[in-house]
Amino acid sequence: MKFLVVDDSGVMRRIHSNILKEHNIDESEIFEAENGEKALEIARKEDIGMFLVDWNMPKLDGLKFVEYIRAMESYKDVPVIMITSEAARYNVVDAIKAGVTNYIVKPIKGDTLWEKISRYLV
Amino acid sequence: MKAKYVNPFITAAMNLFHDYLGLNVTSGKPYILQDPSSLNEVSGIIGLAGETAGAVVLSFTRETAIKIISKLAGRTYQALSRDVIDGVGELINIIAGNAKKDLLDFRIVISLPGVIAGADYEIHWPEQIPVISIPFSSDLGDFSLNVSLKDAD
Repeated sequence: MKFLVVDDSGVMRRIHSNILKEHNIDESEIFEAENGEKALEIARKEDIGMFLVDWNMPKLDGLKFVEYIRAMESYKDVPVIMITSEAARYNVVDAIKAGVTNYIVKPIKGDTLWEKISRYLV
Repeated sequence: MKAKYVNPFITAAMNLFHDYLGLNVTSGKPYILQDPSSLNEVSGIIGLAGETAGAVVLSFTRETAIKIISKLAGRTYQALSRDVIDGVGELINIIAGNAKKDLLDFRIVISLPGVIAGADYEIHWPEQIPVISIPFSSDLGDFSLNVSLKDAD
């Protein structure tokens, strides 16, 4: 199963990718993108099984990215976990409307993040 | 600027530095920042817009920034590298985003973070809104969180 980690912070991408690797996800199954545009390019090429997506990013933000992939037949039902600092209730509502599967507010401990991810593993 | 607008930022910072990063950290008494040049060498900045206007700045010495981002990333940095700059931006992003959940008077849009580093820089704060500075002490060094936010009408 392929994962796409989308975050404009290189440090955060590495932290989230490392959590996947620590749980025996092979490095070759983990893709990274620094904004929604790059993430869309990867999503079109690869058969991604789960997205971990930040909200605030340059070029194409996480919310718009989710709207784009939800309009694609192949990603209609794929789990999308939004991992963002945006903690306001109205942000959560907007993200759910855009089609995110689960919403996580940063900062999040590795164990808690993995617990959320593992719910959607097939 | 009302105290109730400052407290959510203090809570968010304590959640990040104490609860998440596990630092031994205390916050001091907030005061009005009279001299904007009193900020430290490395500052992460986020603009606040939407139904209000303002900015929030997290300011470290170079050494403290390096130590705290080493703790965040789980690796040891020796210099003010691209990762350290990136990490400082992420810290202020987390504080601003988390504070929003307790700022119930208005819907706030936060900007992407910017980070500036150097001995001599000036931040152009929103005009006619005081800047409240909150000093923090931690086992990895002191830092400050500086908040300027327009009151709700």
